[in-house]
Amino acid sequence: MSVNTAIEIKGLNKWFDELHVLKDVSLSVLEKEIIVVCGPSGSGKSTFIRCINHLEPYQEGSISIFGQKLAKDKKSAALIRDNVGMLFQNFNLFPHLTILENCTLGPIWLRKIPEDKAIKQSTALLDRVGIAHLAAKFPGQISGGQQQRVAIARSLAMEPKIMLLDEPTSALDPEMIKEVLDVMIALANSGMTMICVTHEMQFAHQVADRVVFMAEGEIVETGPPEQVLKNPKWDRTSQFLEHVLSH
Amino acid sequence: MDTQHTEQSGELLKFVPRPSRPPVTITYGPAGWLKKNMFGNIWNSLLTFTVFALLFLLLKPFFEWTLIKAVWTASTRRECLAISPDGACWAGIFPWFNNLMYGLYPDALQWRVNLGFCIGFLWFVPLALKKITNKMFIALSGVTLFPFIANYLFLGGERSTFHYIVSCFALAYLLLIYGNIFLKYMGKKQFEQYIEPFTGRLYRKNTFLSAHLMILLLLTIIIAYLLGNLTLEYVSVDVWGGLFLTIIISSVSIVMALPIGIVLALGRRSEMVIIKWFSICTIELVRSVPMITVLFMSVTMLPLFFPNTMELNKLAQVLVAVCLFAGAYMAETVRGGLQAISKGQYDAAKSLGLGYWYMMIFIILPQALKAMIPNIVTSFISLFKDTTLVSIIGLFDIMLMARNIAIDKNWLGLHAEPLVAISVLFFVICYTMSQYSQRLEKKLKTNR
Repeated sequence: MSVNTAIEIKGLNKWFDELHVLKDVSLSVLEKEIIVVCGPSGSGKSTFIRCINHLEPYQEGSISIFGQKLAKDKKSAALIRDNVGMLFQNFNLFPHLTILENCTLGPIWLRKIPEDKAIKQSTALLDRVGIAHLAAKFPGQISGGQQQRVAIARSLAMEPKIMLLDEPTSALDPEMIKEVLDVMIALANSGMTMICVTHEMQFAHQVADRVVFMAEGEIVETGPPEQVLKNPKWDRTSQFLEHVLSH
Repeated sequence: MDTQHTEQSGELLKFVPRPSRPPVTITYGPAGWLKKNMFGNIWNSLLTFTVFALLFLLLKPFFEWTLIKAVWTASTRRECLAISPDGACWAGIFPWFNNLMYGLYPDALQWRVNLGFCIGFLWFVPLALKKITNKMFIALSGVTLFPFIANYLFLGGERSTFHYIVSCFALAYLLLIYGNIFLKYMGKKQFEQYIEPFTGRLYRKNTFLSAHLMILLLLTIIIAYLLGNLTLEYVSVDVWGGLFLTIIISSVSIVMALPIGIVLALGRRSEMVIIKWFSICTIELVRSVPMITVLFMSVTMLPLFFPNTMELNKLAQVLVAVCLFAGAYMAETVRGGLQAISKGQYDAAKSLGLGYWYMMIFIILPQALKAMIPNIVTSFISLFKDTTLVSIIGLFDIMLMARNIAIDKNWLGLHAEPLVAISVLFFVICYTMSQYSQRLEKKLKTNR
């Protein structure tokens, strides 16, 4: 069975006013591949994955998803967001809705799934991330780790083919990081295509197919985790790794 | 060291959290409370005494005037003054009570106003009941359907068939709401569920909805048949007045202000240049002009935009002006709320795949409006008070009626008493609104 390309990014360039934040970034992600993007802060890694689902506009370059090239209009934004789910550093749950309503909103209004069926599906998903008992609570009443797991369930409710994770654990304290990482690992093992910006090198070692190291808005090197994390080719990479691993 | 010892021997101490204690509360009792808050030290005591002395000095003459030396029954102001020269003459309010409430609305037809307000009140009672779930729907139906009934009742005269049918439909809807509430509190099924199996045979797709519609249509037809011979005498808008008119103007503008404000606020933040500039111009133009000017303009200039044949009544013109004015202010309030929403909420909504309108309706506006409840109610309250300005352009609202008492030949010069009475009335209404908003805030508080 041949492996399809899930996302193909070619020559992405982005400027914030005068600041050149993404310089000719190209990356192609295969289906079911787990990519970990790491790099120092300000290297443009968050901006990069936000560009993928059109949360940030970019000036040059092209993105295609499952072979379909995307324009920069609203229609392609809708198409890509239909296929791609996203997690954020600050969870960004909807504070005025209960945990369950957070999960069912998309399926009911966008997928037009009947309410009772959507509730059943979302409850199953919440069960999968281990927090079905909190369904009636509001996001403000649960811990950060639980909130991020709700965010995972909320994304999964839309049945995405690809997940983008923007530093999902960096706002959490150590005890909660583990519970979220466990869910992320399970998700990776279930065959989801993932692009994950993270500083959790353990996670990279354990599940990543490829590690991408970014600095100053460009991809410095990319390769299997053993290679990039153990024997980097570039001095910039090993500099960064020294800082991260010394913690 | 205890912990080191156990680490060395290879086994850890088991950590068991202590049982929680109930919180410490300090109760003072009334005497203790007084001592703590009023007479804590010598300066505190002094302050307390001074404040109470001042309050006594201020309130004593007021109480004497309003209650102790007041006259409650007399037939003219002269009589009042003869009985008690320095007390309030409340007797003057009573013969004018009907005018204060209804303006010049014919006495014999005032039951129509009362009935209209009762129906309107009934529509909003379910919102306060706990077991009712689809409150949003009831409120929306009240806002859209009730005006038809109200218009029919208050104005009367020849009405179009469409108007008649919609009014009957509105009544049917109200009946259905109450029927369902009754069934719900009895712990039974809803009306729709009883006839669902029957409609299911006719129309399979959404049996509940079709059952709902069927009952409504049936009720509408029955009501339309029963009320078929009903004719109401025409009462011109020109004689509407008093509190009745004040409430009509303020409730219409309150109901309209929010949607107008939301549309203008969204327009102002829109990326489409024409919409953006239109919104900015409207908001800034209306906001930077006094309300009286807007009122005068609407009465003198609005007719110029309409063909001569079309008769625009004064009330309609005033309503347009007040709604526009209130909407422009509300737009800025809503914009404030929108700015309080973090970018992350937009990101999350977008990445979920929600389009602009879904994002606004389900995610952004509910949060923005919730954060703005105090400000929104503040504008509602000031709007309610501002409507008294319409007396200036000659509508018989409650203020004009109050001033007319002073030129009645029996009560010549009776200025203060009507104004005090109206103040009390306004205070009661505005305070109720403010209390309601605080309750609403508490109820909707889900985070933090």
